[in-house]
Amino acid sequence: MGVRRITILSLAALALVAVGAIGFGVANIAPLDVLAIIGKSLFGLPVGEGISAGATSIVMEIRLPRILAAIAVGAALATSGAAFQSLLRNPLADPYVLGTSSGAALGAAIAFLLPLTGIAWELGGVQLAAFVGALASVALVWRIAGVGSGEERIASVLLVGYAVASLLAAALSLVMLASGANLRAIFGFLLGGLDGVTWPRLAAAAVPIALATFLLARRGRALAAFLLGDEGATHLGIDVRRERRIAVALATLATASAVALAGLVGFVGLVVPHLARLAVGSDPRAVLPLSAIGGALLLLLADTVARTIGVPVGVITALIGAPFLLWLLHRARAGYAL
Amino acid sequence: MNETAPYELLGARNLQVDLGGATILRNVSLSIGPGERVAIVGPNGAGKTTLMRALSGAVPATSGEVILCTEPIQRLSRETIARSIAVVSSDITLPFATRVEDLVALGRIPHGRGPAGPSAHDRERATAAIERVGATHLQHRDVRTLSAGERQLAAIALGLAQETPILALDEPTAHLDLRHRMEIADLLTSLAGDETIMKTKRTIVAIFHELDIVRDGFSRVILVSNGTVAADGTPAEVLTAERISGAWGIPLERAARL
Repeated sequence: MGVRRITILSLAALALVAVGAIGFGVANIAPLDVLAIIGKSLFGLPVGEGISAGATSIVMEIRLPRILAAIAVGAALATSGAAFQSLLRNPLADPYVLGTSSGAALGAAIAFLLPLTGIAWELGGVQLAAFVGALASVALVWRIAGVGSGEERIASVLLVGYAVASLLAAALSLVMLASGANLRAIFGFLLGGLDGVTWPRLAAAAVPIALATFLLARRGRALAAFLLGDEGATHLGIDVRRERRIAVALATLATASAVALAGLVGFVGLVVPHLARLAVGSDPRAVLPLSAIGGALLLLLADTVARTIGVPVGVITALIGAPFLLWLLHRARAGYAL
Repeated sequence: MNETAPYELLGARNLQVDLGGATILRNVSLSIGPGERVAIVGPNGAGKTTLMRALSGAVPATSGEVILCTEPIQRLSRETIARSIAVVSSDITLPFATRVEDLVALGRIPHGRGPAGPSAHDRERATAAIERVGATHLQHRDVRTLSAGERQLAAIALGLAQETPILALDEPTAHLDLRHRMEIADLLTSLAGDETIMKTKRTIVAIFHELDIVRDGFSRVILVSNGTVAADGTPAEVLTAERISGAWGIPLERAARL
């Protein structure tokens, strides 16, 4: 199957699963009714006569923002993961490799300790703090590791990322020890989840996610050249330093926004790009768009399971993702090398 | 200098390159015309690879200048450079499983536009390049499972897919056994006879350590020693026992047997 066909088919699968997921829950709503409600509420179409106000409210107020959030977060994490894996030439890189997760976690934990009430809480004070923490830690890692070129630089970026993440993790532990009654809330954020996503919070995160993910998926040409390393990319006419800065900035923006909205959802950004490579080969021009769709699909499915059984979605992605990664590694011995 | 060349495809004038505070190349002048087959030889650390990187614009000249297709290289965009000179690495390592045909298609990047992957035309050029190096039977293989000789063929095909008038190779025979070395040397001789998109014969510039390959297959040798061009001419002129002895620091009687 061609790359285009695989991409279109997976997009169609995502749309079908999304409609199904919106209807699925304690109150089941038929897929056609879901389409009718969305058509009527968002586009003013003359459909959906006789559908209860309750069903409309469930779809429009609760399920649709949550499903869109799962799609946005999954797409952002998987695309950033694919970009970081290509940029750093490392199959174990994930969206959090430059310290995004620990920075976000520390930011959120500090926000939980602040006396945020009322309007600041509604507008997402915790999310904003997580976003700022994520950007700050990546900036710190990038600053220390330098922006030079070459294989040594990549190793140094990974090591600096690890060191900064360890430092921030220590700070997070201290904050958690001091947090008292807020410990459970902080812990919930660390596990990652989409409970209580509202339209304003969704919009605040989805706009930067959509923009950064779209632009990142269009940088595939430079990322493809990066497969050959800095020197090889240079010889293919790529301005390595410029393209690397752009890609890191876009991937970081997408990841930080995703973390702010959903907390620390693991494995999506690590595993989905490998799955995409299994389907379409290693060229980022095919891998990035397919990762975006696949990440959205995986997180949507995981979140549907999560809300059905009432656990944070991060637990589900880890439960699916970790064995899947082991399976990939097992396959590596049989032919597909990570 | 080659007086017979109709015009200058690749050249250097009083080129100096400093890296990390140290002067790697100094006072390098050379001129290479269309269709020439030029071997660069010299001891480890003499500056051969830096010379090739400077000639392909991967490192900037500290002073002096590099000429590519009759233009000073700093006036050319990175993409224009990549459409003029393809540099073949001797050690392609890939982070992910990648089929030979997908690797070679990366050579079309300088000719591409926009976010889409390789076009049908790009695929066709990549297939032709793989066929040209005689690696059609390898095109669906994962590059990372290839032997050193097969990987070198894939790397050369990647360079050919760039469709440049100049093909530069950094130690294309490194890590290869006797037979594969000969095969690569013969392939380079054959590739030099191809007509390129500039309607001239392909120019080949390659770094070697094996002087026998150079004597057999190359009409011109540039000896780089201590960061400068120590000699430039035919193999018979350049590769004398005295020069080999001096450049590599080996006894004259042993140099005479090389």
